Amino acid sequence: MAEKPRNKLEKHSQPRILSRVRWPETISLTLLGIIVLGSVFAPILAPYDPIQQSSNRLQDSSLLHLFGTDELGRDLLSRVMHGGQLTMSIAAGATLLAMVLGVAWGMIAAFLRGLPDEILMRLADSVMAIPQILLALVFISALGADPFNLAVIVGLLLTPTTARLVRSSVLAELEEDYFMAAIAFGSPRYRLLLVEVLPNIRGPLTVQTALNAANAILLEASLSFVGLGIAPPEATWGTLVQQGFQKIYQSVSYIIYPALLIFLVIWLLNVLADQLGGSNDLQGKKR
Amino acid sequence: MGMLIATSLLIFTVLRLLPGDPIITRLGATPGIDAETIQRLREEAGLEAPLVEQYLTWVAGIFRGDFGQSFFNQFSVTELIIMRLPATLQLTFTGILIAILIAVPAGVWASLRPLGVADRITTAFSTASIAMPQFIVGIVLILVFAVQLQWLPARGYVPPTESLSDNILRMILPAVTLGIAGAPLLLRYLRATMIEVLASPYIRTAIGKGQTGSGVIIKHALRNALIPTLTMLGLLLGYSLGGVVIIEYVFGIPGLGSLAIDAVFKRDYAVLQSVVLLVAGLFILVSLTVDLLYGVLDPRLRVGRSRG
Repeated sequence: MAEKPRNKLEKHSQPRILSRVRWPETISLTLLGIIVLGSVFAPILAPYDPIQQSSNRLQDSSLLHLFGTDELGRDLLSRVMHGGQLTMSIAAGATLLAMVLGVAWGMIAAFLRGLPDEILMRLADSVMAIPQILLALVFISALGADPFNLAVIVGLLLTPTTARLVRSSVLAELEEDYFMAAIAFGSPRYRLLLVEVLPNIRGPLTVQTALNAANAILLEASLSFVGLGIAPPEATWGTLVQQGFQKIYQSVSYIIYPALLIFLVIWLLNVLADQLGGSNDLQGKKR
Repeated sequence: MGMLIATSLLIFTVLRLLPGDPIITRLGATPGIDAETIQRLREEAGLEAPLVEQYLTWVAGIFRGDFGQSFFNQFSVTELIIMRLPATLQLTFTGILIAILIAVPAGVWASLRPLGVADRITTAFSTASIAMPQFIVGIVLILVFAVQLQWLPARGYVPPTESLSDNILRMILPAVTLGIAGAPLLLRYLRATMIEVLASPYIRTAIGKGQTGSGVIIKHALRNALIPTLTMLGLLLGYSLGGVVIIEYVFGIPGLGSLAIDAVFKRDYAVLQSVVLLVAGLFILVSLTVDLLYGVLDPRLRVGRSRG
């Protein structure tokens, strides 16, 4: 170990990254991976059929039913795993939509400047002036809430914040030498944006993706919890918390496990965003 | 003002241009209704007028303090809002007060030794509580204090005019929920400002002339650190106004938030659009006030600007 960093590699600061394992990042990625895999492969991994009823109603955790059972005797671990599938699909759809729209919105604003920029950013401001959850209510009452609509609605709500971030990141890049050089080469506009600028803002974009995913899960869970999101028989974690809330005096494990998972996933995504943001600052100090 | 117009247009457009008919929803369960009645009801609710006219009627009404008529019950929207507003305001302000009571001591404590034990503890707590959805904070509090310990009632609201003690008793859990959810926002910001202020030359001067520790911290440092934190308070209020929607639902409080949720279930656009606009308006107003106050409270800001 002591000999190798002496050579050229040191300049690329590779040994430092190798020797310093970033624990918070690794741990949160691993845990997130387990939760995602558990949800994606729920049909194979779940111990019971999530709609199989039995006479063991509202039981607490036991070896037979790790998360207990619900009011119809269905195994809650299996329900949580299957619910995770829907939760994750909605969150993933929403995040993807927010990133695509947000990047387009922010880039157009930053690149055109002037009046279009003014209009686009005022629009973003006025969307952001309404608390997200209330705006979500407006959209839901207009569109209704099936999983697809919910993903679209949540995605739209996350777009303005993303657009703002993209705009300011792009504006900073426009000052850079490489960008001037690309203009001098005569690159067409789409090339300037997609090939030159986009790869250079991937740092902040990655952080924003993690934050958007966390927010998407939060919003969907809140909406399903108040009964305006996914309604039974379909269930996300938010729906399960809603159902557990009705039985809060009879069973603690009904509500606590789905709630815990929602918290855990959002928390891990936040930790991840923090870590990624921190490492970005170290790599490329812009100012 | 421009912001308010944009916001109101946005809410209105989303509600009217997207599919779904409130009158048909309302009549959904009633048998034997013919097309004529539906037409008449639509006209009564003002839904047959051109969209521009509907919008202008709504906005013109707001200036007279008249938000229009609920599609579903006999109350006007203004009456409904006035009935529901006190609970929401009480919850919001108590919640923010609790957030301040948590954040200020914790933030100061954390800032005294950056990266010290206190700092690490508060950072860990604030990171966790930022990730904690408000309804889960509420559920945990209900589980502990209402279900297990049975110290406090879990749900409901009693107006203070009816019974002050009942009112306070039922307000504790929801307000603490809101406070816990909002505190990290303030805490993180206050901590950063405090660390910055404590490192500045005038603090060294104060210590140099023989001021004791707590005097320096409270009199010199905290007072200066609180001014920028005020900006955060505006943001916190906006955040709380969104948060009360969910918290009111968890604790069964009849406020603006549960009014909005009810309105969604019934597709009562008249109520929904006004409640959302009112909240957005409050938020914009608060941010504006904070911006103005900021200049008044911190003369350095003005001097700094003219120097460029």
